[in-house]
Order: sequence, then C-alpha cells, then structure tokens
Amino acid sequence: MSALEARQQSAAGTDGTGTLRLIRLAGLVATAALVFGIVPEVLGSLWLKVLISAAIYGLAASGVALLYARLGLVSLMQVALVGVGGWVTLKMWHATGLPFEIDMLAGGLAAAIVGALLGLPALRMRGLYFALVTLMAAAAFQIFITATQFPNGGEGWLGVSRSAPAFMPRPLLATTDAAMFRYVVAVAVLCFLAIEACRRSRAGRAWALIRKSEASAMAAGVSVAFYKLAAFALAGFVAGVAGGLLAATIGVLDARSFPAADSVMLFALTLVGGAYAFLGQAITGLLFRAVPALLNDVGVDGDIAFLIFGAALLHALITAPTGIAGQLFGLFGRLIRLGGRR
Amino acid sequence: MGAYGLFLVNGLAVGAIYALSGVGLVILCRATGVLNLAYGAIGAAGAMIAWQLMQYGCPEAIGWLAAIGTATLLSLAYGRLIAPHLSFREPVVRAVATLGFAIMILSLMNFSWVEAPRRLTLATDAIGLSILGMRVTGTRLIALLAAVLVTLAVALFLAATQTGLRMRALANDRDLAAVLGVPVVSVETVAWGISGVIAGFSGMMFADLVRLNPTVLTFLVIPAVAAAIVGRLESLMLTLAGGLTIGVVESMATLIRPVAPFRAAAPFVVAALLMLWYQRHRRLTFAGRD
Amino acid sequence: MANGVFTISSVISLSAGALLAALASGAAHAADAPKCGLGTGQAADGRPILIGSVVGETGPDDFSAGADAARAYFKCVNANGGINGRPIDFRVEDDQWSPETASQVASKLVKDDKVVALVGNGSFVEMTVNAKLYEDENVAVVASACAVRECFEARNIASTNQGPVPSNILTAQWAIDNLGTKKVACIALNIPSNGVWSCDQTDRWLADQGLEGVPVLFDPGSADLTAVLLEAVATGADTMLVSLPANLGVAFFKAAEEQGLRDQYNWIAPTPLYKEGVPEALGDYWDGKIYINAELTPWDRDGPDAKRWREVMDAFARPEDPRDTFSQAGFVSANILVDTLMEMKPEEIDRDNVTKALKAVKNYRTDLLCSPWYFGEAASHQPNHAGVELVIKSTGFEVVADCFEAKGGMFEDILAMEKSQGMTGAN
Repeated sequence: MSALEARQQSAAGTDGTGTLRLIRLAGLVATAALVFGIVPEVLGSLWLKVLISAAIYGLAASGVALLYARLGLVSLMQVALVGVGGWVTLKMWHATGLPFEIDMLAGGLAAAIVGALLGLPALRMRGLYFALVTLMAAAAFQIFITATQFPNGGEGWLGVSRSAPAFMPRPLLATTDAAMFRYVVAVAVLCFLAIEACRRSRAGRAWALIRKSEASAMAAGVSVAFYKLAAFALAGFVAGVAGGLLAATIGVLDARSFPAADSVMLFALTLVGGAYAFLGQAITGLLFRAVPALLNDVGVDGDIAFLIFGAALLHALITAPTGIAGQLFGLFGRLIRLGGRR
Repeated sequence: MGAYGLFLVNGLAVGAIYALSGVGLVILCRATGVLNLAYGAIGAAGAMIAWQLMQYGCPEAIGWLAAIGTATLLSLAYGRLIAPHLSFREPVVRAVATLGFAIMILSLMNFSWVEAPRRLTLATDAIGLSILGMRVTGTRLIALLAAVLVTLAVALFLAATQTGLRMRALANDRDLAAVLGVPVVSVETVAWGISGVIAGFSGMMFADLVRLNPTVLTFLVIPAVAAAIVGRLESLMLTLAGGLTIGVVESMATLIRPVAPFRAAAPFVVAALLMLWYQRHRRLTFAGRD
Repeated sequence: MANGVFTISSVISLSAGALLAALASGAAHAADAPKCGLGTGQAADGRPILIGSVVGETGPDDFSAGADAARAYFKCVNANGGINGRPIDFRVEDDQWSPETASQVASKLVKDDKVVALVGNGSFVEMTVNAKLYEDENVAVVASACAVRECFEARNIASTNQGPVPSNILTAQWAIDNLGTKKVACIALNIPSNGVWSCDQTDRWLADQGLEGVPVLFDPGSADLTAVLLEAVATGADTMLVSLPANLGVAFFKAAEEQGLRDQYNWIAPTPLYKEGVPEALGDYWDGKIYINAELTPWDRDGPDAKRWREVMDAFARPEDPRDTFSQAGFVSANILVDTLMEMKPEEIDRDNVTKALKAVKNYRTDLLCSPWYFGEAASHQPNHAGVELVIKSTGFEVVADCFEAKGGMFEDILAMEKSQGMTGAN
C-alpha cells in the first residue's frame, strides 16, 4: 500500500512544482530518444529480439498489474491469454490475409472476450480461491493447445498444415528487427496510455470504489459486475495484443511457449517489478525475458540459471513488497527531497 | 461393461494419486494459509534421492526413509526459513512465492541428474490382484489405501488432538488465534512437517506409478491443486472424493473419442465446474475475506 | 577503422588459439590422440572459421549430444592443422526448448556472429522457428537430431538422423516381415508436428502395404499411461509401435508389465529407445521382447569411422558427453562439413560458398550410416532412410537385422529422385 501512497504523493508533487514537472518531461524525452533512437541502432540482432520479447511480456504484465493494483484480483492465466491472442491473430492472417494490425486487434478482442468470460467467477469469489480458478483455466489451455497447436496456414478450422508450414510475415511497417522493436514499443505505449485513460475515467473511479468496498460501490450505484468484467476484458485485450505481436515477431507460435507455470511466473514477476506503475511492468518484462537471456548468453548452465532465477524471485518477493519500481520511486523521491533541502 | 470396468478401476488408481497430493496440500493450507506449489518438487527430490540410493544398492527401506526424510527437511526448511518472511502478505503472494522454491528444487534436480530413462521399482509392484479384468499392483492398492487412511488420520488428528485444535483455530482466524495464545510458530512447524512427510510418501508413489522424471513430478502439483480446490482448500473428505472423481473422469474420457485427446484437462474442468457450483448461492464478495 | 578493429580481434583470437592449441596438444600427447583433418599434429593458428549450432539442452530432454560430438571433432581438427591452417570457432547455443529463445540465439549466430554454417543442430522447436531465417540468410544446416516435420521439410536443413517417420516405418517393416504383424497401434505424443505427423505417415505407409495402423495419441504431461495402454489394447492391434521419448517409453512399458501383456503383443519402437540406460530401466521382464530400429549403425561397430568416432570422443569430448546415436550423427555432420571445407580454398570460405558447397554434397559414405548421404537442392530432405534392427536384452542391445532399406510408399519417390539425380552414386 505504501507504493500507492508514494505514487499519489509524487503525483501531487507533479502538480505543485514546476521543476519536478520539467524533470519528468526531460526524463520522458530522454527515455523516448534512448528507446526509439539509440537502442535499435546499437544493439545486435540477439538483444533486439530479447528486448522485443521483454516489451511484449511487459505489455502482457500490464494487464495482470491492472487487475491486481486496481481491483486486488489475481490472474494466473495471462500467458494463456497471450496464447489465445496469438492463435486468433495467426488464424485471422492465414484465413483472410488482412493487414497485421486488423488481425492483431481481432486477437486482442478475442482474448478480451475469453478473459471476461473466465473473469465471471470473480463476481462471486476473490483472493486465492479465484486465483486458482484462473490457474485451472491456464492449465486447461496448455492441454488444449498442445493437442491443437497454432495455425500455420493449413486447411480446416484448426489451420494446422500437414505439409510445409507457412510463416506469418511481419507487419509492413516493421520488417527489420530494429523496426519491429520500435513497433512493439509503440504498441505497448499505446496500450499503457489506454489503460491509464481508463484509470482516469469513470471506470477508474468505479474500480477504486469496488476495491474499497463492493457494498458501498453498489450503494453508490456502480455496476460492480460491469466494471469488474471491463477490467478483465482490458487485461485480456492487452494480453491478446501481446500474443499478436509475439506471433508477428517469430512468424509461428508453439504450444510449449504457454505453460500454466509461466502464467504464475508472470504474476510473481509483476509483483517483483511493481504493479502500481508502468515502469514496474517494463521491469517485469525485462526480468521475464532479458535476465534469462543474459544468463544464457554469458554461458551459465541453463539449470543453474533457473536456480538463480528461483532464488532471486523469492528474495525479491520478500525484500521488495512494493516491487522494484516502488523502490526506485522511493529512491527518486528521497533524491528530490535531498535536492530540495540543498 | 468390460471396458468400462477396466477404465473405472484404472481411474480410481490414478485418482488416488491426485487425492493423496491434494490432502497434503489441504492440511498445510488449512494450518498455515500457504498453498504449496513446491509440493510436487519436494516429493520429486525425495524420490530422486531414494532412487539414487537404491541404485547404489541400498535396501528399499532406506530409500523410503531417505525420500520421506528429504521431503520433510525441505518442507521444514521452507516453512521455518522462508515462509515467515511472507506471513503478513496475502495468501496468493504466499502461494506464488512457493513457485520460486519449486523452480530452485527442480533446477537442482535437473542439474544433478541429467535427463535419462530411469525407473523406480518397489517391492509392491510384483504383487497384485485382478479387479474387473485389470491387474492392480500392490503399489496402486497402497496408494488408494493410503489416500483413505491419511485422510482419516489427519481428520482425526485435527479433531482430537490439541495441536489439531490449534490448527483449526489458526485456519479459522489467524490473528484471533494468535491473540488467544496459540503458539503460531510451533503449530505451523508441525503442519509443514506433516505436509513434508506426505509429500515424500506421495513422491515415491508418483515416481513408481507415473514416472521418475523431476519435471513431470514437479508440475503434477497443478492437477493436485485441482483436487484441493474440489475440497475448497479445507475439507479433507471432499478432497479425497475430488481426487478420485478426477481420476475416474480422466480415465473414462479415453472411451469417448472426440474428447479423448483432451482428457488430461479433466482435473481442471472438473475443478472449475465444481467451484462454480459451490459458489452458486453467493451474490457478493467483500474485501478482506478470502 | 574497421581494419584496426579487425587486427585487434584477430590478435586476441590468435593468442586464445595458441593457448587452446597448447592445451590441446598437451592432451594429445597424454592420450595419443587420433589424427583428424590434415593430421599434422600442429595447431591451426589462422583466421578462425565461425560455425554455429542450436540445440535443445535445458528442458524435457537433452538434444545436445550431436553438438558435443561435433565440438570434440572440431577440437581434434584444430589440433591437426585446422581447415588448411584456419581453426574452427564452434559456438553452441541452447534454445531451452523455447521458440522465442530459439529465434534469439539463431539470430545471434546467423546475424550477429555471421557463422558460415550450422552443424549438429538437435531440437524440438528450433527448426520450426528458424527454417525461414536460414533460408533468407542463405546459411546451410547439417543437423543431427531432427524430430519434427518442419526440420525435414526445410530448404536449407538436412539431417544425418532419420527422424520418427523412417524409423517408425523401418521397425514396422521388419515386424511385418519377421513377426507377422497385421495391425499396428502407433503410440505417440499428440503434438501435431511430431507424434501426429509420424503416426499419420506410418499409418499411410501401412495402408499402402494393405495393412492397418491406428494412432493412439496422448498429452506429454499425462500422468496416466495405463489408460493409454488400455486404449492401445482396445484398438485390436497385434503390434504396439511405441514411438515415444525414452523416459515416457520406459514408463509405458512399465504399465504394460503391470498388466502382464508382454506375450500377447509384438512390441516395436523407433530409435529413441536405443539409448544407454534403457535395458537397465526396463529390467529382465522385457529381455528379448522389444525390437528397436537404430537410425545409424550400432555404437559398438568396428568400422574405421566408428572407431575414429570413439577415439575422438575419448580424447576430445567431456567425459559426461553421451556416446549414443545422436553423438554419432553429430560426428558425421561435423565430418561432412570439415570434408567440404577442406575442398575449398581457405580464403574463399564464406557463407555463400559454404552453403553452395554443402548443398552440392552427394554420395557421402561412412560406415556410421547405412546408406550414402546427400544434401541437395530440394524443398525437403530425407537422405537417411535405412537402419538396423535391434532387440533389447537385459544386458544391452543385440542386432537382429543389419542395414536394410525402407521400401514402398513414400520411399519409392525418394529412391527415384536419388537415382535420377545421382545422389547416391548408383545411377
């Protein structure tokens, strides 16, 4: 909860002092220049691909964070929803050949519908018990997708080819790795902004009220069911879009990429990154994809890398209850105060 | 009828495995509020060490002791050293953290034992009897019997002993129980210990009946969670029934052609449907109560 | 500027190369190491040739044996004058059974490191994801452990192993001729590009022979193999084709042992069960009852290449590296590459030339393979389609039928193509 307060404080501070706003703006511009201008030019193909994956899963994590930070709900099925989005995107492309953006939106919508349907039980239950419903959904998805696989241009409803598999090409705007990286980051930022817009609208106020007390939300005339499901739909949508981006990056998808355990892992890392700010989800994406790649690249044995990863996960959950982003914001706040005193 | 009987008996044998794990999960969850996703990994570690000792020529009894000892130690280590740091976090966070522990144990196992065909053979595999046309080995009978006996024993323990009473008190309301003088730490330690013993036992059973593979055994915890969900994470009897039902549904689904390829999803479908049915009369949820 | 950088890096690699050579020659004297390549006994110190490999190491199974054998052979070549003076810099990446990682590490090798070829690849996911990259970047892959359809149906990948389809069919063919098989239950995983595909092809081949095959497919995470067994029994087949990874295969046979079904059926299997530790894990019960097809010749043969393979492994591989079929396949792949590079002028070794030269390889003969190997310009590659049939004993494996060719069905077309293009030197 302290992270939330810290955020609110820093938000209040932004409105108050001009210098802070300036620092923030300068930071944003510098980050944008770094991400869009410099990073794609200096990195090799390996690290660009790793960062693309990290951005994609950071985007997926923003859905998990939305549910957790705004409604206190835990979703352990986000990676499965990424799979749903990827499946629909691939199916759409192979079936219709429409531009990638339309296929991706279809993937996002499909995952939103599935997410909202699986969110239905949340109207009546919460906490661990609800989290386990979502885990069951993720586990069932793993079984179903292993048996059906992802479309690769084949015949029939499932679209799995018996002979030469076809790749889905990258979007026209992003045929190279560098362009794909910019494309993925731009889509992720758009989704982040959409979530932020919802948070600041009527929906955000409804979520805040529901989180405080469902009874008083109802008494205030808020449709608890509608806004809860809207949150699930939004979380599902970003997962679906992430799935579409993943499919575009590689061209094909494999059932092995979406195990139930990964959904649990993504939630854990969302906590570790920090659920209350988008910086946290960026960190989550990096932890989920860039850290294992780094360990692999420096030649750490794959098993030992997992050992380090598990230990680090436990350590971070214990020592950083507000997530790494929360710690960074705390640090930043202290620095500002120090500077102000001088 | 012949085929149905065959698959029914087989389903009960498999269901016993789910039930046994589910009971181990539920007793810990009731007493400590932790749903232990490392349960499968802990059992697998016990089984791997037992197998290694038996490869070295140790008698089976030593293997059993090593398996149960290893699992109990691992369970206690987590319960005493790591879990207390998270005791004031919400239940989901405490459950998710155990995944970190599971990954650590799993990667250590994969590092120590390179992937190879292994097989754990117990003396009880050799004996068996024929039921409805299917041969049921002693190990399967033991698994079924153990599931029932452990359920009864734990239920009796909770109902009749002082520690059991304290566990129930903790399960009902942690803060209140602590205020009333329940020694939280020692009661929790007992719960982690009991859960570890059951994990070690079921780890040996799984390694024999499913297969001796660390990854498979580790992630078998997910269908076991399904059995625990049927028991609403509190009722041992319902967990037992749930585990057996799941096993039978999964096995019988083999006979229905269209769903046969998806039958491994049976635990999740059964659990999710039952969970929805349980909740059918609830209308509202209120913050603070899970 | 680029020149300056180049000099520095080559100085570094020179000194590293010298250090490695010193180490290698030390080892060579100790073990009286085999001669490879030029056989000079002198370490190569020229500009390194970059070769890559992508293997599935961390995950449900370990497919790195081929790359391990290739690494050992390259070390031996480097210690013996290299490729006409140029040492091979062999870089192996682990795809961790993840398509994303597979794509990342392949990009690293192909785009960042700019390897001239890939050798010894073995994976369940890598080929599906990267086949297009290899084609777009015009880099050739001599794989050694292909397991999925996409690996065989790729323009720039050819493997020295057979994969599940020929191995399934060869073992079924032997059972038809020798055990009187009429109906086969093909027991495999329900993964479309692996089990579904290989059982489908096998059943089609059986139909061509006027016989019947029934697929019995299940999820790799299934806890309950007895239900799979019962399903296989319910098909009414007389022969059980157990097309599963070793670990699952052992568990399946254990379920069959529990039900006492050994003598009611014929039990046959493709290569994955030809693996060290399988006879011990299966135990006395199955002694002489399971017939397995090996994609390459057995490990304990005395042919010159078989001997050389074992010597190189003993002298240059790590003690824990396996000595199995995939290790043999990796050794063959590495030999094909080295023999091809040796024919080229050292200064002409770049990706385009190497790809061209590798694709031109035909009629490559070694006693580790039952039939001559070729790469060729085709949209799919299945050069290895002959095998050895073995029977499992409690103490190990015994040969029951030496090298024999797969006949009928799809193999008619392959043989006709080989003949018309002179791939095996038999036209």
